[in-house]
Amino acid sequence: MKTINKIVLGFAVVLGLSSCEGLDVEPKSFYSADNFYKSIDDARSSLYYAYDALTLTSYAPLNYYFGELPTDNCNVKPDEGADAQALVNWEVTSQNTLLLEYYRSAYIGINRANAVIANVVDRGFEQSEVDDIVGQAYFLRAWNHFNIVRTFGLAPLQKNFINTLEQTTTGLPQDMQEVYTFLIDDLTKSIELLNVNRVVGLADKVAAQALLAKVYLYAASAKSSGVPKYDVLQASADELYAKAAEYSALVLTGQNVYGHDTVPRNIYSINSPDGPEHIFILSMDRTGTNEGDFSKISRYFIPSLGGAKFFVKHSDNTFEKTLDGWSVFQTTSNLLNSYGSDDRRRVDLMTTEAYDEKDTTLVGNVSDGTVAYEFTLKYLDADFEGEKTSVKPYLIRYSDVQLIYAEAVASGGEALKQYNQIRKRAGVDELDAMPSKEEFRKLVIEERRRELAFEGDRLWDLRRNNMVQEKVVEAAGLTPEALSFYPIPQREIDLNPNIN
Amino acid sequence: MKRMFKKVKVIVLSLALCSFSLLASAQQRTIKGVVSDASGFALPGANVYEKGSTNGTITDIDGNYLLNVSSVESTVVFSIIGMQQQEVVVGNQSTIDIVLQDEMLGLDEVVVVGYGSVKKSDLTGSVASVKMDNLPAKPANSIDGLLQGQSAGVQVNMSSDDPGAGASIRIRGGSSLNGGNDPLVVVDGFPIGYAGDIKQISPQDIESMEILKDASASAIYGSRGANGVIMITTKKGSKNTTEVSVSQQNTISDFTSELNLWRDPVLMAGLSNEARLNGGLVPFYIGANDANGIYYPSVKELSDGSWQYNTRWDDVVFRNPVSNNTNVAIRTQTDKTQFSFSTTYFTDEGVYVEDDYSKLNLNLNVVQKLYENITVGTNVIFSNGSRNNNGGLAYWRNPIFPVYNNDDPEQGYFMIGAQDFDHPVALTENRINTNDFLDLISSAFVDAQILPSLKFKSQINYKFGRSISDVYNPKIYTSDGTNNNGAAEIKNWENSEIVSETFLTYNKTFNEVHSLSAMGGFSYQYTETRFSNLYAKGFLNESLGTGNIGVGTPEQQRVENGISETVMHSWLGRLNYVYNNKYLATFTMRADGSSKFGANNRWAMFPSGALGWKMHNEDFIKNLGVFDELKLRGSYGISGNQGVDPYLINSRYGQDQYHVNGSWQSAIGPGYVVDWDDQTGKKTWGGIPNADLKWETTQQVNVGADLAFFNRRLRITADYYYKYTTDLLRERWLSPSSSYDKMWINDGEIKNQGVELTIDGDIMNRNDWRISGGLMLSHNKNEVMSLGNASTSGLSTDPNTGMEYEFYGNTIEAYRAIPSILGIGEAVGVFYGHKVDGIVQSEADGLAAGLDGKLAQAGEFKYVDINEDGVIDENDRTVIGDPNPDLIASLNLQVSYKNFDLSMFFNSSFGQDVLNTKAFSEPNNMPLRWTQDNQTNDYPSLREGRNIYMSDWYIQNANFLRLQNLSLGYNIKEFGVSWIKRGRVFMNATNLFTITNFEGYDPEVGSDGIYWGGYPRLRKWTMGVEFTF
Repeated sequence: MKTINKIVLGFAVVLGLSSCEGLDVEPKSFYSADNFYKSIDDARSSLYYAYDALTLTSYAPLNYYFGELPTDNCNVKPDEGADAQALVNWEVTSQNTLLLEYYRSAYIGINRANAVIANVVDRGFEQSEVDDIVGQAYFLRAWNHFNIVRTFGLAPLQKNFINTLEQTTTGLPQDMQEVYTFLIDDLTKSIELLNVNRVVGLADKVAAQALLAKVYLYAASAKSSGVPKYDVLQASADELYAKAAEYSALVLTGQNVYGHDTVPRNIYSINSPDGPEHIFILSMDRTGTNEGDFSKISRYFIPSLGGAKFFVKHSDNTFEKTLDGWSVFQTTSNLLNSYGSDDRRRVDLMTTEAYDEKDTTLVGNVSDGTVAYEFTLKYLDADFEGEKTSVKPYLIRYSDVQLIYAEAVASGGEALKQYNQIRKRAGVDELDAMPSKEEFRKLVIEERRRELAFEGDRLWDLRRNNMVQEKVVEAAGLTPEALSFYPIPQREIDLNPNIN
Repeated sequence: MKRMFKKVKVIVLSLALCSFSLLASAQQRTIKGVVSDASGFALPGANVYEKGSTNGTITDIDGNYLLNVSSVESTVVFSIIGMQQQEVVVGNQSTIDIVLQDEMLGLDEVVVVGYGSVKKSDLTGSVASVKMDNLPAKPANSIDGLLQGQSAGVQVNMSSDDPGAGASIRIRGGSSLNGGNDPLVVVDGFPIGYAGDIKQISPQDIESMEILKDASASAIYGSRGANGVIMITTKKGSKNTTEVSVSQQNTISDFTSELNLWRDPVLMAGLSNEARLNGGLVPFYIGANDANGIYYPSVKELSDGSWQYNTRWDDVVFRNPVSNNTNVAIRTQTDKTQFSFSTTYFTDEGVYVEDDYSKLNLNLNVVQKLYENITVGTNVIFSNGSRNNNGGLAYWRNPIFPVYNNDDPEQGYFMIGAQDFDHPVALTENRINTNDFLDLISSAFVDAQILPSLKFKSQINYKFGRSISDVYNPKIYTSDGTNNNGAAEIKNWENSEIVSETFLTYNKTFNEVHSLSAMGGFSYQYTETRFSNLYAKGFLNESLGTGNIGVGTPEQQRVENGISETVMHSWLGRLNYVYNNKYLATFTMRADGSSKFGANNRWAMFPSGALGWKMHNEDFIKNLGVFDELKLRGSYGISGNQGVDPYLINSRYGQDQYHVNGSWQSAIGPGYVVDWDDQTGKKTWGGIPNADLKWETTQQVNVGADLAFFNRRLRITADYYYKYTTDLLRERWLSPSSSYDKMWINDGEIKNQGVELTIDGDIMNRNDWRISGGLMLSHNKNEVMSLGNASTSGLSTDPNTGMEYEFYGNTIEAYRAIPSILGIGEAVGVFYGHKVDGIVQSEADGLAAGLDGKLAQAGEFKYVDINEDGVIDENDRTVIGDPNPDLIASLNLQVSYKNFDLSMFFNSSFGQDVLNTKAFSEPNNMPLRWTQDNQTNDYPSLREGRNIYMSDWYIQNANFLRLQNLSLGYNIKEFGVSWIKRGRVFMNATNLFTITNFEGYDPEVGSDGIYWGGYPRLRKWTMGVEFTF
């Protein structure tokens, strides 16, 4: 009987030992609300997660799809997907998956920023650190919301961190006044909390000022040009222009870290993301592991020659290696014709030829059909590894802010000076005297097109000035509403009962 | 007092033993005789042995035996497979002739059910029992293969011929959309996991399998029982003898049909040019370089013979695979010890060159009777194997290109441009892709008869699995390697599981008519899975492969790892009651608590009840003289499904990296990638917790009858069932403005109902002939009843019928649509799309049909304007097919004559539709295209860039009848030496022929009913020998 007892006891011990594991099993290999935001390092890491949303493959390349394809700058290659064709042809429906991807990605950025705002304050961390982190989170929340507003018009404003099912059905804002109040509020807080502090890949006070200037300019020109839904803004167009002028002036004169780079090619040098022009640049690097960490942005702009790489010849007769492209965004002749024959931005930053490995032999060019179109040299990385490049989208450039200032003020010597500085760098005639406000603003828009070509800006300039139909033949016959805003994605309409 | 009693017992026992052995030596004697069957025919090879010893012999060719027995009181046992065993006390006889009667199949068979066993005649639930001894030898290398055709209502779908591939097993249809539909597999009381890939157990080691189909039988496994349970009993020590058995099987396979590849490059090039010209594109075959700088000959060059290459890539890629299965087993039993050791070595080749699999399996089982009332035992199954993955090679490669430059291996591989990553020989020779795995399944139990009517059993089970895979993609020939200057990865995966179960069983018969059996106990289960993945890129020297991936570029090294744990606690009980051997009742109850679910729904109860009536024991039935068995059964029960990942109740943050000021920083925050399409890079985001998550619940009613006639030579089992599943585990979509795509919820209901009929008959049993057969029919109909609230789950509505639906499955690129839906009132996964009414013959014809633009041109599909609004658009879609079969039938036939036996197994399925994605993209159907000269209504014209809508044109009926298995055996009974007991030689062929109208290679596709093309199925030819010593 003793033996039996021993055996039973033995089993009991084993059972007892193993049974002490209860039914509450804590996750051990991922972070959650329970074990995160314990230190300022956690807070900073979650801020980086919010920045990281901007690098998503469903987001970063789409800035160019939307900024360039529906405009007079670029066409899409013939065998690109139907959703991209629809952008070019202005046949975008709520089922368009590019819309959905862009929309969802912007909200991913917003929710990550909201997580920072909701979880970092009042944790007893060092206040200056908290201000820096939260200030950037406000900037990112506004950045993403601004993308949403420009693309979709009235769409949900996410003011709180979403972490439960009940929070997933935010309705639409009442009107544009509510939207712009919210955007301006976020950026004002951001400016208050941040200092001037250049870090490649992050935004600082200057970036927030620049973005706020952009927001005011968008509202001002939209209201003055009669873009639908902007009539409700309480401030007059002039007041809004004045605000745009005020904040862009702060960028131009209120700091000495960023500035005007006088050599066009320097701006786009792969090795100087910390050049004076770059107020906000998206940080991607060829040492990354997945797309988004590294960049494939160049491939969209560079034509496909079928190989792995080829060489381009610069205007100074030097050669530079580039990864082969996909021929997705194909330059229109309309854009080419907008440059004067000696405009540095075409001479230095575009080419029609491809060379082989030995630097000297011409592989082909546009006229013999080997190269499908004249293409931009703004996105070159000679040190690419496989298909990984360090090409970084230029999110806010000093030149952009100079032109914002010029457009907003549109009178007097300072506006003319900023405008002429851009013209001078391009090697084209400067303007002697200030024309009428209206005329000058038109000139600035066209200058913006030449300066910011291939940087994902054109559609927004056309939309806010109500110029889409004037410039894009494919947009003929559309309603003002359809010209100004894309439809909210169908999945949002299907799943969000607070949006009819 | 107790101790004293025990001492007395020991003394008495040893005295008894002593006297016994004394008597034995004194009274030894010899007996002889003839063993024959009822018709008077001698039975060679029958076992004759002294009960309780290892002393025995077998009868010779004339049925004669001679045996020395130890005493006049010895009992001699006579047995042979297929006959009822007989026991005779020797007494004073010296000649004992025995007539053995045919075995009454199934009468007193004991079947294993969860946590116990019952006599088959006392079953109240729907349980199918398969005794391996009764099966003809099949060259199955996994349990999945053995199950095919064994029981009505069990659908075994083997849609892959890859080496070591598993099968999909469904018991009574699918009751879950996402929680898994694979039945639970229990090996010797150890629930080891779900069917489909049970590779750890060698089929040769299996004694019997029981399939628990209805809720009364499966509810004892509670939250894991909803898909049915397969109980496996492994072979233990053989009865009273020592047996060594050896078996050897070799299989060679070939394709069941010719490959459908381009053999005529002229035709291929002509059609390609035609398609591109029709699509407004520059044709390839014009004798010029394409964009990649590759020269494509013109059609003329191909046809006049100036182009010399026409490579048969299938000859380069495929082979006739050979597999080997060697098994050696030693089984022995003494009074107190049962011992069994078995080892299997299995190698399997895939149809692709160097696509190989090998596995060594060891199985050790020892049961020791410690005392009269206490037994302990242990079982260890160990397997270790490896896989060289070389599947998916490009057998479809363009035949106009040679394997090597100028057909000369010295000059290197011929590559189609710089981005050619499909060269089959280059990949085979340069890429590393291997996997090593190890599995251990072990258990130990103690079984104590505490009182004559009360038994205690406790069993601890431990399972361990490990897998290491090595991949090296070289700098050239692979995409990954080219982009990363050589890329290596090592993936480690490890899983361990402890299940500890303890229960008491009480058995007692009161007043000779009330037979009661009660069982109660508890179970504890802990599972832990860990993985670590190591990645390195950028190799200067590639000669080490994955041997030392630390030599890759330091900045490019990356690590991923994770751990996941689940715990389950359960209480369980069963009550069986039999009154007067006529009325049967069974009640079971299980309570499961799982860490996978939120505190609100952590515990659930799974009860069941069943009643049975053995009418054949009633006088009024007995008096009819018709029925040997007539039993009615009815059951109701609830079982569950918890087949989702753990931690869905927790909020979950994701991680990535962000490059800040020139260095990488960890980025962590809310939202993580739940799904990532490697090809498109598209990610699906989740992370919202659901604290209310709970089990899927399936209620099942079963009504059945078991009948036997003609001295049990005809046996019929019929069942009707109705299964209703609620709280379906579903990933619902969320509004994208929430920043999340999906979260898990319980939402939706599915119904399954069906009938199953099994008819077994011993058709003839005369002289040397035995013929028996079995027919199984099953019909299952499922229906989606609900998918939750339409507005919150984002259902679409069919504008014509008002049916609410959502898409189910993945997008098919060719149609740019998901072909299947879950529609309320429809079966799971029906096809949804347009209807096609022939081909447009002229533009006027097309415009009249409501088509416009390119779609209205001659040679296009003539889509039907279902809503008759004059426009063809997405509102003209409807349900166009159902991939679920209406009837599955199988037929077993066994014939034996003297020492020969022949068995056949036919398998068939009717009423299922298959989406043939290759209906117009293969060399056998593209030439049938519409052209001006061939204005057919069957095929459209060839036009590159056509936007094809998902339509019923691609849907085909896939009824089939297949001779799945044919086996011919010869039993060798006469060796002239006594040390060989039995021998058998057999030949077996699987997949001999298939009768079907389906146009693809094979109609048997996955349960989604989508046919992807590929290559033909294999026909397998096996030779085998088995000897027992």
